[in-house]
Amino acid sequence: MFERILRLAIILGILAGLYIAYWAVRRSSRADQDAPPPWRDSRVLVIAAQVAAVGLMWSAADYLWANFRARTKAIGLDLNFDFLDQPSGISIADSPLNPNAAIREALSTGIKNTFLIIIIGIPLAVIFGTLLGIARLSTNWLLSKMATVYVEFFRNIPVLLVIVLTWSIFLNAFPPVRESWLPFGGRFIFNNLRFGFPSIQGGDGFGAFQILSIIALLAAAGVWIWRSRLFDRTGAPHHRVLYSAGTFLAISLIAYVALSRPFEVTTPEIIDRVYVGGITMIMPYAAVMVGLVLYTASHIAEIVRGSILSVAKGQVEAGNALALNGFQRYRFVVLPQAFRVAFPPLINQFLNFTKNSSLAFAVGFAEITGVIQNLFGQSRPAPQLLFILMITYLVFSLVLSAIGNLINKRLQIVGR
Amino acid sequence: MIRRGNALKRTAGVVMALGLVATACSSSSDGDAGSDTGDSVASDEPADEPTDEPADEPADDSDVVESTQSSGGRLAAVQEAGVLECGGNDTLPGFGIIDADGEFSGFDIDFCKVIAAAILGDSEAINVTPLVAAQRFPTLQSGEIDVLIRNTTWTASRDGAEQANFLQTTFFDGQGFMVRADSGIASIADASNTTICVLTGTTTLLNMNAVLGDMGIPFTALEFESNDELQPAFVAEQCEVWTSDASQLAAFAANLDVETAILPDIISKEPLGPVVADGDTEWAQAVNWAVMATIQAEEFGITSDNIGSFADSEDSGIRRFLGLPIDDGDGNEVIAEVGLGLPTDFASNIISQVGNYGEIFERNLAPLSLSRGPNALWTDGGLMYVPPFR
Repeated sequence: MFERILRLAIILGILAGLYIAYWAVRRSSRADQDAPPPWRDSRVLVIAAQVAAVGLMWSAADYLWANFRARTKAIGLDLNFDFLDQPSGISIADSPLNPNAAIREALSTGIKNTFLIIIIGIPLAVIFGTLLGIARLSTNWLLSKMATVYVEFFRNIPVLLVIVLTWSIFLNAFPPVRESWLPFGGRFIFNNLRFGFPSIQGGDGFGAFQILSIIALLAAAGVWIWRSRLFDRTGAPHHRVLYSAGTFLAISLIAYVALSRPFEVTTPEIIDRVYVGGITMIMPYAAVMVGLVLYTASHIAEIVRGSILSVAKGQVEAGNALALNGFQRYRFVVLPQAFRVAFPPLINQFLNFTKNSSLAFAVGFAEITGVIQNLFGQSRPAPQLLFILMITYLVFSLVLSAIGNLINKRLQIVGR
Repeated sequence: MIRRGNALKRTAGVVMALGLVATACSSSSDGDAGSDTGDSVASDEPADEPTDEPADEPADDSDVVESTQSSGGRLAAVQEAGVLECGGNDTLPGFGIIDADGEFSGFDIDFCKVIAAAILGDSEAINVTPLVAAQRFPTLQSGEIDVLIRNTTWTASRDGAEQANFLQTTFFDGQGFMVRADSGIASIADASNTTICVLTGTTTLLNMNAVLGDMGIPFTALEFESNDELQPAFVAEQCEVWTSDASQLAAFAANLDVETAILPDIISKEPLGPVVADGDTEWAQAVNWAVMATIQAEEFGITSDNIGSFADSEDSGIRRFLGLPIDDGDGNEVIAEVGLGLPTDFASNIISQVGNYGEIFERNLAPLSLSRGPNALWTDGGLMYVPPFR
């Protein structure tokens, strides 16, 4: 094993000797008499140090790889990805995945579940964390102390504990299926397995309605831009939220009437243990989501608090001088400047959120880590699966940080 | 100007040198791949052993052992380390659990002790690594543990794709379903659209999907990593049904506060036993015969209590089994050597320190009101049958 590293060291030693000989020959032949010896020549030393560092890293990587290959060969483990087409044999709660479907389908269901945690959880954590951060700075003593206690509590316990705790609370606070809690006259269902909510079900002309809704959205966006430009040009109050929402609702309502009720609202029902109508959410998903949001929000709160404090006090005083009220001061003066500071560390929290979502499998929610853990136990090769798992999180993280950096670039002050 | 030219030349020289190194290295890694790999297999095998020259000693071994028996050197490595690294369970009453004294105990753990007693002569020379189901095989593949005894089912794909080597079955089990006594579910057929709790990464899960799928019974599977979460989920009625090996269900039912019933349907064969990694026949055989000795001992009627009385047994089979000297007819006393790499008195050590199969069963599983059933000796109509010790 070590002989290869030794061989590398010998080759490097010979090269160093050759170079010293080259220098000695040149000096004795008076071609370059005032050249310092290589061991005192800073340019040579810098390059030599880099060569040595690369050699060291290469040796370490080579050692680890050879060890890994030796072990996999000793037990006859093939390092190919053919197994992805084998039937997985596993099922995933509340997904249509057939146990006989290929492993790649099970993996994509797992990735979808991870995505479902991230896409809903990160915005929730940002909103909740921002409110908490502002609350910590509130002049209301009770509010600020409560926020402090909350932040210090959640920031200082492990995230796995938060998730398992949320899950346990949900498990015992909600009744079992046969005694489901049905608030609002049965429009909602809460039990310790699933939560059901009213939903809409498309009928005739639902496709046309969806197209019209998209048109309504585009029209609302156009109105938004028009009002914003008007405001920039004339300074007249823009009321762009009101105008856009009004546009959207008006077009949608006309579409709804014109297409004669393209959808109906359905409420969830349990008939012989089967959930009919509405949309349902499996409880472990809700538990993981709430746990991760509670935990991440405590970190985001600190980032927001710090960045608000970083906004110069004169800005707040200027806002007061302009007779802005508390909300306006935050909305138009403090937060836009604070978020410029907060954004880079926020991206970090988004990445942490993504990685922490891997703890969901502890409470029975099959996201990608859970699916891969499951496949480990089903005679599937661990090295390849781990590789897929790492690549998955890498892609999630890189995409998130690319989006984050893009937003960050737009937030930055344009330097002149 | 001269200086600048020299600097350029130097840089060019360094770049060329780097290229040379790179080629030298890559060619060496290609050319010597065979020999390097051979060395590193040997050096990796005794992975837990802090030996200074890992490459040399096991390589010598492979020169000495000329038979077709592959020798990964793990037997020697374990003997040198003086401790058996055992992968076990820490959450399953009766099989592997951490008891009130903080020690691992249970049926599976006792078999770790059996192997340690046979190989090292000391049943307490074990180090148990608790593993969740999904981690068993990666840990075994990595060489981190010497033997895996963690209620693990022997299947074709595990033998094949998982590079595992399953040995003598120590417990013949079958997959069952447990429900609350007042659930109104009397058989699997009643369980349609229920939620079923199951451990992730198990054959239990595969069987459930296959059998219920074939029967056309829709269900929701909730997969947990550990019984620490699964048990509260069942108690809180998050899932109506809990599926696992019937013995495990019985073990958990004994500790639950709720009234439960086990459905009559047993949907699978679950032979549980010790597992080692592929590629080291010598080690596999040593472990296997140590485990089988407990069953043979019960067949002979030798227990930890009465083993002393067999010291002057007339039965040559028993004398050979216990490593007692046998008269060769010319008045010479010889001790039979079977060539497994185990001490000749390994069976005596096992029985006196841990006990025979029946004792291990009684000690760990009888308190859970599990009966011997298929795990009785073949002479009593069960499946416990081992090859002759000679």
